[in-house]
Amino acid sequence: MIIEGIDLSKSYGKTTALKGASLRCERGKVYGILGVNGAGKTTLFKILLGLLTPDTGKVIYDQSHVKPLGGIIEKPAFYDYLSAGENLKLFARIQGAASSEGHLDGLLEQVGLPVTRKDPVRNFSMGMKQRLGIAIALLNDPGALILDEPFSGLDPRGIKELTVLVRKLAVEKGLAVLISSHMVEQIQQVSDELYVINDGEIIKSGKTAQLIEESIRSYRICAPHLEISALLKSYQHEFRSEDCAEVVVSSQEIGKLVEGLAGERIFIHSCIPNIDINLLFERRV
Amino acid sequence: MMRSLLWAETYKLFKQERTWYAVVAIFIIEVIVLIGAYYQGSNIIDILLDNLKESFYFEGELLNGNLLIYLILNSMWFNFPLILMIVISGLLTTEYKDNTLQAILLQPVSKRKLIQAKYIIATLFTVAMVLFLCVSAFALSYLFFGFGDLVVYLDELNFFTHQEARNRLISAFIAGMFPMVFYSLSSLTIAVFLKDTLKTWIVSVLFLIISNVLLKFDFKVSVLNRFFFAKLNDTWQYFFLYEIPHLKIWVNCLVLSLYIAALSFIGIRTFIKNDIG
Repeated sequence: MIIEGIDLSKSYGKTTALKGASLRCERGKVYGILGVNGAGKTTLFKILLGLLTPDTGKVIYDQSHVKPLGGIIEKPAFYDYLSAGENLKLFARIQGAASSEGHLDGLLEQVGLPVTRKDPVRNFSMGMKQRLGIAIALLNDPGALILDEPFSGLDPRGIKELTVLVRKLAVEKGLAVLISSHMVEQIQQVSDELYVINDGEIIKSGKTAQLIEESIRSYRICAPHLEISALLKSYQHEFRSEDCAEVVVSSQEIGKLVEGLAGERIFIHSCIPNIDINLLFERRV
Repeated sequence: MMRSLLWAETYKLFKQERTWYAVVAIFIIEVIVLIGAYYQGSNIIDILLDNLKESFYFEGELLNGNLLIYLILNSMWFNFPLILMIVISGLLTTEYKDNTLQAILLQPVSKRKLIQAKYIIATLFTVAMVLFLCVSAFALSYLFFGFGDLVVYLDELNFFTHQEARNRLISAFIAGMFPMVFYSLSSLTIAVFLKDTLKTWIVSVLFLIISNVLLKFDFKVSVLNRFFFAKLNDTWQYFFLYEIPHLKIWVNCLVLSLYIAALSFIGIRTFIKNDIG
């Protein structure tokens, strides 16, 4: 266990931001925290990182690390009048971490930032800032990394690159990575395990693939001459365009449908699950 | 860790453009005082002291380096502490604004040591700025206006020879460090409470103005009239009384140091207690 939060609650005046949230993270895995804006994700992360004191509950860390957790809350923050290298050096020195040029350059390279950039970080793109934020979070070799809404403000390429980087850090460095987002697609791609948080409560947890599958009620299936399929008629469906239909079918049955369509010599070129957000955010009975 | 934090605070302070603007602003104020004195000063002094010149013998020009240093010294009433308060409060408010305070506290850094480092650097920076003001005032004033006797009106007209004037001016700059540190740390403490840059500036300026107003205010209570903080901020002026009240100056500086310690204690304690973010 790298980090464990037990029964964490926090209120701001009369507003309850977090109600008895518990979670547990292991080395080498990416944990997604999925919730709409205002669900309590940032409050949860701030408590885990020690920025907020919970009203109830406690956080247990793996004490073998000088710095148990590294993280970025809301957006990466640094001294925008300093260069990436200068920022990294400053953050390294204040915590007594290795601050030799070679070590810091290695860290910049690890997150995919050019070591040759010497201009102030205010000139950096959002994607580069996220990477620098991760480099700072990685100083002093933490056991876990907490990233709050890291995909916000990134273009599709930036999202892809960040997803690859996060997976690499978990798999190659053995970090436990906690990542929050309100974007289902991104969290689905990056995480192994998922916590769904709604209105300050963790309402579901489990393997990401499984939780997502449970929330699929239909698929968008595209194939030439799909309209002639006899099999399709036995499913509730609606054509969105000439070759694409929205078919109501569960994740357990989709395999059978695809196989059946192939038997009718209808060859699918895309089959995209539609995740029912309401179902995903519905408490398990 | 404290040494690293002190290094980091100093590094950030001198890497920020705001700090250098402040240094330039202080220099500009000095230059304006000198230029103003050059073009208008001698006429005014001649009018003021025309009668006295008939009765007394003055060594050198009355509009001399010592008088100019005294005029620059008087920027410690408002201009100089105002600039200091803007720079010093920025040690914290910019960190709140840019969220870097949160980024620092996400590292294994002690909250107590971080804020203590800011208070220490604020004090050292203020002392360094007073020294800068002092050295540049002496250098520019003597360079362009030479030496001479100093005439100061403080309840009465006082005349000091060049050497005595120089010693009194140096002592006044040293004593002036105490109220300047007090104002600087006040702005830092205000920043701890308000966090926002603009609000901190407004409240700091208000605090400075009220302090200056209260200096002349009669509280009708002798202890308040003697030891209320606002009453201690003109201690540096005592060096231009004919008889220097050394004991009173020492006591004032000591009491002001206690105020500084109390301010720092309140600021540090509040910062530690408050959640960040």
